[in-house]
Amino acid sequence: MRRTTLVPYLFVTPAMLLLLAFGVLPIAVAAVVSLTDMNISGLANWRNVEFIGGANYVALVADPDFWRALGNTGLFVVVGVPAIVLISLGVALLLDGSDSRFARALRSFYFVPAVTGIVAISLVWGYLYNTQFGLFNWLLSLVGIPQVQWLSDPWLAKFSVALVAVWRGTGLNIIIFLAALQGIPREYREAAALDGAGPWRTTRSIVLPLLGFAIFFVTVTTTIAWLQFFDEPFVLTDGGPLGATTSMSIFLYKEGFRLNQFGYASAGSLVLFAIIAVITVIQLRLRRRDVEY
Amino acid sequence: MKRTATRTLAAFAAVGLAAGLAACTSDGGGDADGPLTVWIMGDSGANFEQLVAPFTEETGTEVEVVAIPWDAIDERLTTAVASGSGPDLLQIGLSKLSTFAAAGALLPLDEHLADHPGLAAGNFPDGVAEATQVGGETVSVPWVSDTRVLFYRSDILAENGIDAPPASWAELREDAKVLAARGDGQYGYYIPQWDSPLPVIMTWDFGGDIVSGGEIDFDTAAFAEAVDLYTGLYADGSVPTNGDFDQTQGFISGIAPMLVSGPYLAKSIADAAPELDGKWGVTMVPGADEKTSLFAGSNLGIWHNTDQVDASLDLLEYLSSVEAQLSWFEINGELPAVSAALEDATLQSDPLVQVYSQQLADSKVLPLVPNWDGQTGSDLLNALNAIVLTGADRDATLAELFTKTAGTPVG
Repeated sequence: MRRTTLVPYLFVTPAMLLLLAFGVLPIAVAAVVSLTDMNISGLANWRNVEFIGGANYVALVADPDFWRALGNTGLFVVVGVPAIVLISLGVALLLDGSDSRFARALRSFYFVPAVTGIVAISLVWGYLYNTQFGLFNWLLSLVGIPQVQWLSDPWLAKFSVALVAVWRGTGLNIIIFLAALQGIPREYREAAALDGAGPWRTTRSIVLPLLGFAIFFVTVTTTIAWLQFFDEPFVLTDGGPLGATTSMSIFLYKEGFRLNQFGYASAGSLVLFAIIAVITVIQLRLRRRDVEY
Repeated sequence: MKRTATRTLAAFAAVGLAAGLAACTSDGGGDADGPLTVWIMGDSGANFEQLVAPFTEETGTEVEVVAIPWDAIDERLTTAVASGSGPDLLQIGLSKLSTFAAAGALLPLDEHLADHPGLAAGNFPDGVAEATQVGGETVSVPWVSDTRVLFYRSDILAENGIDAPPASWAELREDAKVLAARGDGQYGYYIPQWDSPLPVIMTWDFGGDIVSGGEIDFDTAAFAEAVDLYTGLYADGSVPTNGDFDQTQGFISGIAPMLVSGPYLAKSIADAAPELDGKWGVTMVPGADEKTSLFAGSNLGIWHNTDQVDASLDLLEYLSSVEAQLSWFEINGELPAVSAALEDATLQSDPLVQVYSQQLADSKVLPLVPNWDGQTGSDLLNALNAIVLTGADRDATLAELFTKTAGTPVG
């Protein structure tokens, strides 16, 4: 007979309070605010706020900036998530191969961008990318290639910003994959070696299937993070040359904090929340069961 | 026995929950005699502490300075308005004045002006104090002035046969072509892609305005001429097209030897390249029919529900005194707003300041629309940048700008 105890609930309560207060409650508040026309004067004096129903959502659909932001976000996710997953997995597989001091130093080396402050990163990369005075263009000029407008050309700016984000994002995922790789028992690899399997065959048929859950976890969290892509375009291009790198989050930030249209921005944030929720649920449903040997 | 244990644990859980909720107490009201909190923009915070040290010695009121980066002011204002608790005194950039007033963040000062003569409109250059009233009410007091003048590299201009800086926009366009012909990657002039006042300055210089009948109106002949000039400079190839052009480095390295900017740039250039001393200068904006430039700068206001109105007014009066204004220029390099301070002989002995004062005498404030930075100015820049950077159709883009901004109320 199982004895139910309340002790676990007591330990979980503080964290649940925080989650409710800072996670669930703001979404509920945003849902209510999205049905009003709240702006800065409404924030100061609630009598200035009017209930306008779904008008914000209708305006969103008619807003070309909203669709462009959505398109940019979709492009970033389609390009960025596979890039991060493949690069992290590849680097983790290579690092796992050796246990030398150099390999261990490399693990910290790959992790450093993930923990460095975004402002410092933006300052340095901003200067690397600078058209007239940046390092990249100077290197290119040594080989005779004309100046490249890394952050001013609409398409190149998307690529440049995504590059910095991928560079930052791989760190944590490499650590996750390394941890998962170390959870694979050596006996399986030895058995495969005894059967005559080479390293590539072992990786393909033994290691990767056993990494199934880690790959799934990294894909889901990276997708959620990239659907809310904000830091890099904000500090490098502030939404880019004429909105070329404006993602949904930047669009919402500008509507809310530069134009003070809190009702409109709340409606947009609820739309983004719905999109993220739907995509995550689809990914959860598509997952086949873990491979176990 | 088991049931009692379960009940006790349940009680503990409930108490834990309640304690967690009770821990979120709301902020009490501020101390009536505590330090005055002042919001100062940019990185002038440490300098400001130096400025108010004599005030603290004299009156015994402590002043706590909070330094706020320029691009964080929107969020700070929003959170302060939402929570109801802000500073006592705050610096307000002129382009943000309407937003602050709309948020109800500023204390109306009209009724206090009689007791504090140092804050009266007569202390400041003609029209400036009136121009910064919102809805006919005085909610702030001018603090520092800023303007825009033409910076030029006299050595590079001389090398290319230009003996004097251009005296009109048409001349500037010609000179810029000559300078851009120096070679690949060399330009004649720099137009910052984030500079929304520049096309407005050009409109004023062509004898027009962007305001008519108390509303924004871009559909004027003078604005069309300004757009011709703006797009013409790009069409001539005299201006860099990348958005990340560093104006200080561009000026120092000679890549863009002419640009319109404010006194802060003079300080940056002097600090970054003292070897260029004597090889560059400033002069009034080229102008056309007029040589009008921008009157920018910041005002100081008092937070609407501060507990320390009298102490704040005293500090405000101290900051508007001639000594404090001149001292601030020495410490931080920002021009005074008080007329008596501007006319001070020592200040005027600096040749740069002479040009600034001359320009300030012919400067106008940007229209006080509800949100210049976020909305009207931003729409203007997007339209112009779309035309010059992406080749959008000029008439269609301008027509869109007119419809978007028509009817925006001023003041």
